[in-house]
Amino acid sequence: MGFLMTTIIFFVVGVVASVSVRLCCNRGPSTNLFHLTLIITATVCSWMMWAIVYLAQLKPLIVPILSEGE
Amino acid sequence: MKLFEDLPPMDHLRSEDMSLVQIIIPVESAHRAVSYLGELGLLQLKDLNEEKSPFQRTFVNQVKRCGEMSRKLRFFGDQISKAGITASPCPASQQVIDLEELEVRLSEHEAELLEMNANNEKLQQTYNELLEFKLVLLKAGGFLVAAQNHAVPAETELVESKYSKKDDESLFLLEQSVQPESSSKAGLRFISGIICKSKELTFERMLFRATRGNMFFNQAPAGEQVMDPVSGEMVEKTVFVVFFSGEQAKNKILKICQAFGASCYPVPEENSKQMQLTREVSLRLSELEATLDAGNRHRNKALASIASQQWNWTIMVKKEKGVYDTLNMLNFDVTKKCLVGEGWCPTFAKPQIKEVLEHATIHSNSQVGIIFHDMDSFESPPTYFRTNRFTHAFQEIVDAYGVARYKEANPAVYSVITFPFLFAVMFGDWGHGLCLLLGSLILILREKKLGSQKLGSFMEMAFGGRYVVLLMALFSIYCGLIYNEFFSVPFHIFGKSAYKCLESSCSDAHTAGLIKYRDPYPFGVDPRWRGSRSELPFLNSIKMKMSILLGVSQMNLGIILSYFDAKFHGSFLDIRYQFMPQMIFLNSLFGYLALLIVIKWCTGSQADLYHVMIYMFLDPTGDLGENQLFWGQKELQILLLLMAIIAVPWMLFPKPFILRKLHTERFQGRTYGILGTSEMDLDQDPDSARRQHHEDFNFSEVFVHQMIHSIEFVLGAVSNTASYLRLWALSLAHSELSTVFYEKLLLLAWGYDSVIVRIAGLAVFAFATAFILLMMETLSAFLHALRLHWVEFMGKFYHGDGYKFKPFSFKLLADEED
Repeated sequence: MGFLMTTIIFFVVGVVASVSVRLCCNRGPSTNLFHLTLIITATVCSWMMWAIVYLAQLKPLIVPILSEGE
Repeated sequence: MKLFEDLPPMDHLRSEDMSLVQIIIPVESAHRAVSYLGELGLLQLKDLNEEKSPFQRTFVNQVKRCGEMSRKLRFFGDQISKAGITASPCPASQQVIDLEELEVRLSEHEAELLEMNANNEKLQQTYNELLEFKLVLLKAGGFLVAAQNHAVPAETELVESKYSKKDDESLFLLEQSVQPESSSKAGLRFISGIICKSKELTFERMLFRATRGNMFFNQAPAGEQVMDPVSGEMVEKTVFVVFFSGEQAKNKILKICQAFGASCYPVPEENSKQMQLTREVSLRLSELEATLDAGNRHRNKALASIASQQWNWTIMVKKEKGVYDTLNMLNFDVTKKCLVGEGWCPTFAKPQIKEVLEHATIHSNSQVGIIFHDMDSFESPPTYFRTNRFTHAFQEIVDAYGVARYKEANPAVYSVITFPFLFAVMFGDWGHGLCLLLGSLILILREKKLGSQKLGSFMEMAFGGRYVVLLMALFSIYCGLIYNEFFSVPFHIFGKSAYKCLESSCSDAHTAGLIKYRDPYPFGVDPRWRGSRSELPFLNSIKMKMSILLGVSQMNLGIILSYFDAKFHGSFLDIRYQFMPQMIFLNSLFGYLALLIVIKWCTGSQADLYHVMIYMFLDPTGDLGENQLFWGQKELQILLLLMAIIAVPWMLFPKPFILRKLHTERFQGRTYGILGTSEMDLDQDPDSARRQHHEDFNFSEVFVHQMIHSIEFVLGAVSNTASYLRLWALSLAHSELSTVFYEKLLLLAWGYDSVIVRIAGLAVFAFATAFILLMMETLSAFLHALRLHWVEFMGKFYHGDGYKFKPFSFKLLADEED
């Protein structure tokens, strides 16, 4: 699906999550900021994890060599 | 940066605002005011009487009385548990009892209980004695009867080992030697009694020696177990009869009996008298049993009535003791009519406290109101975070390392997400993640029930961390999907694999391998890798680079937090001479490494990154050759190296010198010392926090401190980055363990046809997964994620030398003593 496309998907999911958290538990500006921080951190961490594994497989230097018995 | 300034302050990022307050309470409303404050639980009072010993304090008598009462309550608790009565506390009957009334009631109950216990003991002792007497009568009577049956008139004297050859039957030694008829005729007498079975042998030997063999000892086990008065346990006893002659022998034997704790009971010789005595004793025994039963029932009834109230009373006494301990912390003022106290409270709580104090004034019908006002403080306030049940566990994790300084950035804000995330990187398997999710959901859904009951220490920890486990489980499922491991089995959830055989016959799949013919697998690790021979090199490469990237990111986050801290406290010195060189040093070396990793992945170059990094230091001007990843790399590397080298003295030298300059500017002209400044009030409390601290500026100390800080950072940059490789190590271990269990347990067992072997294999696989992977690996990954947070992340910005806000609260009292 492409690197850029999936990154945009992650970004959109993050935005949707923060909006829904703001709608469901709106508890004052300080707490809203706290929730936003949590969502942003989670989105960034998940994106990084995916991006690392994706980029590593983009142009690999080795390929799977099947073992005997497969 | 304007954006950051416009934002409202974030919840949980910094401690709540705390203010130092002073309360002046008139004596008549003191007790009530303090109890109400305890109910509210938002004020931490300082101990103004620290130098006084506990016996010099004002309310020492009341504290002693509370101590007495709690001792009595503990005594009741012991008695109740010994009697085996299950206390069913009735919370409904909340009768408001006065403390004095409670005291009187408690002493009444105690006296009653003690009396009942004493009576019980006496009765029990008498019962035991009678029981022993009965046993002695039964068994000893047997000996004497046998003796009389075999009384041969001819031989009247006691003969030692003489075997009669007259009788054909093999006579026992008893019947041979106990030939005399009546003891009184030949001067032969006997003593009968009962002794513990364990001492019986030594007893016999002692008697033999003492009487020089002129005695005959006969014994038989008592048959029933008797309660030993000393130890209170049931022991085996032996009934014995000692036949002897002479007065001296009798005295000796009696003394020996006493020494060994054997009880002697007189047994009449005639059979009829024995039977009569036995009947009498049995009668008395049954009477005593009835009396004992009645006594026990009476006592149990009394205990039950106490048991229902005991919990309430204990809480009440604890509260009172807390109130008096707090009152002891206050000082009497000059007029001796008011108590003065100082304490910390959160600024948002001040109206609530004022209201509570007003109530106390009204309810105690006092004429004078309670004065409550702010004070300036020079001491650092305690740190207070208002946590809910979700953030509480994460805050506890951070506090275990060190409580945040007042108004310092709280790492828990980010740890809520990064801690479970790093755990998941090491745990990544969505099958195991699902199990963890199940466990945590069970704990969360039964929150109310589990929260009210008492749990064992392990369950309590698991219950306290239920939200942490929930997040860990969710992230583990995510990371498991990325690593593509479900109990180590990969799935093709996200589409087809990117690899296929070069030819349709797959002839060289085992030598040259597959080829990549499409875009990479869209989400996670391609499932074709599992089981291949080059799986480990590939995964190791990914995971090591991933660890470095995650590590550099988290460390950068830590340094950025130190920037925000410095900005908040207005310390531009820290920003310019600590934050900037630290950022430059870390990023020019390890940030550059991260950049190289990403470039290598994107371009597919064959450059050796180890070589590049090492020769960046060893030979920066040398030619890169085939390790060149982008144009201008050599020049960039030389620039970064120079920047890193400059950064080290930048973070080491300027700050101490500038601090010294600032200090001399501020205190210029004050070097003659301060002679009792006129600002000091005459009636100021010597303990209060308003005392000013005069600081001397010790340059060498500051310089050494800065040097340690810089060295720690520079060396730590290398070691901390390497420390993040544990993410790779643990995830590899988890994956390998999982693979081994799957292949060598489950698949092996499934290969057989027999159902029993299959079920056994499944059971062993389940046990191994549950205990080794789910419990041990969870704890291990938890611990390592914790270490990464505490040392590598929090070491970049966190001081953690504050103290926690511990208000006087009845709820906390109840929790802490349990």
